[in-house]
Amino acid sequence: MTIADMPDQNLDTLPVSIETLQSVLSHMLPAGADDGDLYLEHSVSESLALEEGRVKHVSASTHQGLGARVIKGEAAGHAFTDRLDSRALMQAAASARTIAESGQQRPPVAIHKASPTPLLYEGSNPAAGLDFTQRKALLERLDQLARSLDPRVKQVFANVSSSFSDIHIVRMDGAFMHDARPLVRLNVSVVVEQNGKRETGSAGGGGRFSLHRFSGDNQAEELVRKAVRLALLNLDAHDAPAGTMPVVLGPGWPGILLHEAIGHGLEGDFNRKGTSVFSDKLGQRVAAKGITVVDDGTISERRGSLNVDDEGTATQRNILIEDGILTGYLLDRQNARLMGKASTGNGRRESYAHPVLPRMTNTFMLAGHDSPDDILSSLDKGIYAVNFGGGQVDITSGKFVFTTSEAYYVENGKIQYPVKGATLIGAGHEVLQKVSMIGNDLELDPGVGTCGKGGQSVPVGVGLPTLRIDELTVGGTEA
Amino acid sequence: MSHSDTIKSISGHAERLVACARAAGAVYVDALAVCDTGDSVSIRNGAVESVEREDAQGMGVRAFVETDRGLAFATASSSDLSEAGLKRLADQVVAMARISEPDPDAVPPVGADHPNADELAAWRARYPDQHHGWSIEKARDAAMQCEEIARNYSAEISNSEGADASFGSSHVAYASSDGFAADYAKSSASLSVSVIAGSGEGMQRDYAWHRAFHASDLKTPEMIAQEAAKRAIAMLNPGSMESGRTTVIFEPRTATSMLGHLIGAINGRAVLQERTFLADALNQSIFPDFVHIEDNPDHPDGMGNRLFDGEGTRCTGRNIIDAGRLNCFLTDRYTAKRLHQPETGSAMRGLTGDIGIGSSNLIWHPGRQTQEEMMATIGNGLLVTEMIGFGVNGVTGDYSRGAAGFLIENGKIVRPVSGITIAGNLKEMFANIEMVGSDLTWFGSSAVPSIAISGMTVAGQ
Repeated sequence: MTIADMPDQNLDTLPVSIETLQSVLSHMLPAGADDGDLYLEHSVSESLALEEGRVKHVSASTHQGLGARVIKGEAAGHAFTDRLDSRALMQAAASARTIAESGQQRPPVAIHKASPTPLLYEGSNPAAGLDFTQRKALLERLDQLARSLDPRVKQVFANVSSSFSDIHIVRMDGAFMHDARPLVRLNVSVVVEQNGKRETGSAGGGGRFSLHRFSGDNQAEELVRKAVRLALLNLDAHDAPAGTMPVVLGPGWPGILLHEAIGHGLEGDFNRKGTSVFSDKLGQRVAAKGITVVDDGTISERRGSLNVDDEGTATQRNILIEDGILTGYLLDRQNARLMGKASTGNGRRESYAHPVLPRMTNTFMLAGHDSPDDILSSLDKGIYAVNFGGGQVDITSGKFVFTTSEAYYVENGKIQYPVKGATLIGAGHEVLQKVSMIGNDLELDPGVGTCGKGGQSVPVGVGLPTLRIDELTVGGTEA
Repeated sequence: MSHSDTIKSISGHAERLVACARAAGAVYVDALAVCDTGDSVSIRNGAVESVEREDAQGMGVRAFVETDRGLAFATASSSDLSEAGLKRLADQVVAMARISEPDPDAVPPVGADHPNADELAAWRARYPDQHHGWSIEKARDAAMQCEEIARNYSAEISNSEGADASFGSSHVAYASSDGFAADYAKSSASLSVSVIAGSGEGMQRDYAWHRAFHASDLKTPEMIAQEAAKRAIAMLNPGSMESGRTTVIFEPRTATSMLGHLIGAINGRAVLQERTFLADALNQSIFPDFVHIEDNPDHPDGMGNRLFDGEGTRCTGRNIIDAGRLNCFLTDRYTAKRLHQPETGSAMRGLTGDIGIGSSNLIWHPGRQTQEEMMATIGNGLLVTEMIGFGVNGVTGDYSRGAAGFLIENGKIVRPVSGITIAGNLKEMFANIEMVGSDLTWFGSSAVPSIAISGMTVAGQ
């Protein structure tokens, strides 16, 4: 059984009648509006969390609501409501339309299904793949494994969560899109103690697939081994150096570099408004030769993937930087219209209760030709960073940071010792021009990324091959 | 619906949800119902860029059932407030609790130190349910004025990210199966603006904001506009600085993060889980003796006022840091029981999920020196006005964050710096506080002065 009370849903069945949607839409959209849509969402989520060897927290939530939107020029009117009765929907429509001058109403449009896109993930509740007892057993097994790996493991925290969002989008022209989005996540973190000194390590993974996946392969066990390894490694970590030096990034999750340094700065809203350091740089060199960066929302079962974005546009593989030259921005419908371009399928919202913004999906750099060993050997004195915590960027100045959670000091191409977590800081428009070697080992992250923008969180992916950056500021304490 | 109708309606929901869960087989239950309405208008380049209207509702329930191995519980939430929705949620949470793992230490919602009826009435009299004082039109005019003043502040202001005026009301009702039921309403208004100085790769963006219970208590649009514009201009043409050890002055805007790190580190849950560098620091001097920090749930300037917490426990003020000494951990009922510490009424409740722990209004008592006097005293150092990133390890206290601000030489600001990091360890940073400024500044539910910390490592050139 699944925990949440998920009514048997025919996925083509709306929570509101077609007739109601038609009248809400025509009430909402004056003749002068450029665009507008209704976004209906029904989401269920479940979470089990283990600590002190016991599944202590079991929770579930069910949410549904409507977002109504009217666009005119650079302006947008939004209304969000949790009530789906026709009176509340009409009120929402009236609030959204205040942005456009009142004018003649549009005649009602016929609502018609848009042609379906290829499905990138299964449209069913991922919680159904692993029942409650199995999930409990999984977390208990991971707890025991962590404790058996090393006697210094003092605390184990494990959490398995799933969500399933059923989305319906009705556009101004009556085009009607549906997407059913599963998302799962498994997280493990441990506290280790040695001679009174405590450290922590954590690991996670997930994507748009059934929870069943966690019971099948060794993925869950690998997360435990990684969390314990990181925590023990950090017990022996030395102070990180402070100053500017060469840095080698490992493959996979360090792709957060691209997300912060490049990705946000290429989002259409900032570039249309001229507030990004990348504004007006289309066609210019922003990265070293050989560097190609893509944002690809079409990879099967990835955390950042979507069949259609939250405006109903099919996602695609967008080339942002090709051989070092800036070639594209990430666009939603409004910014695309204002910039005279087509949406790139990057219009996203956290939920019906948030406005659409241009956002990333899965952002990564294509593989180069260097062997990872050669790249590490080239490092005379510097940092080799393999795992990271979070990052952040100021898109106007281009300054970005990301913080190591597994990093080593390297001399003469040889790893010397692990170093404590340090923030690396650079400028987005400069950092990729300082890349001198690109590995042949592209990896995508394990499915843990969450991107924050304008107070909204959406799941994303990143990826990177091993990369050498000749100069980056490392924020350690050892000056 | 009027405020009082809304309160009546959501109080009814919370109490009915408790009754439904009892009927479904729960022994102990507590429930929350919330109803939020909010509006916002944003203005960019003198025109309305967006209007938003939110109408949100929801309810959450925590239900305990008796099993042959003790009490087990679960939490669940829903936005469907219909009678059928209430019943479905109650059935669901009880079914979930039945298959949960019993916890011998579980603390059900019974026997809590609830405020009594007189206290509830006195609180309502002191903090009446007042309107935020704004309409869409008034908010739009304030944002319009603020953005215009910021854009026209000087020729160096080159672009705008817009001004935003938001206002709304939040109604919350709590009910417990031990008979306690209470509700409150809070309204607030806020105004913010963000502008850009300079051009191309030399652009600098900065912002200013203010939030208050009533629009008439907000800083004026001029004050907010001028602060944002001045800040952006002051950061033009930043350089780096030499790596090394130095004294860092955090202005109030960045010093609030120190309060956040402290509160995270004395969270009872983190202490219980040994996930904090202050797990063994109770009753120890962790700051110099001139540092005093209080958690005050009843302060006329604070946005974090509350009579009771997310478990219905009475909130009482306390000095968290008294003359440098750590006086208490913050607890909900469960962590208080496990740690054998007093209940501090610090449970923070979402509709579903784990109960969190947090402070009400945090006030870092000011010192005597102005920021200028602090700079004169340290001679050489760094004034940090902006920080970026999340480089704090709560278990060890290791600290490394991106920063921007101004280089201080011979007691005076000489030039802006950016693209640097500041690093240290929070335990040492707390102990190395040299001075606390007189410039106490409120940010919503926390008030903090400038703080000077010696011995931090800057990484730059």
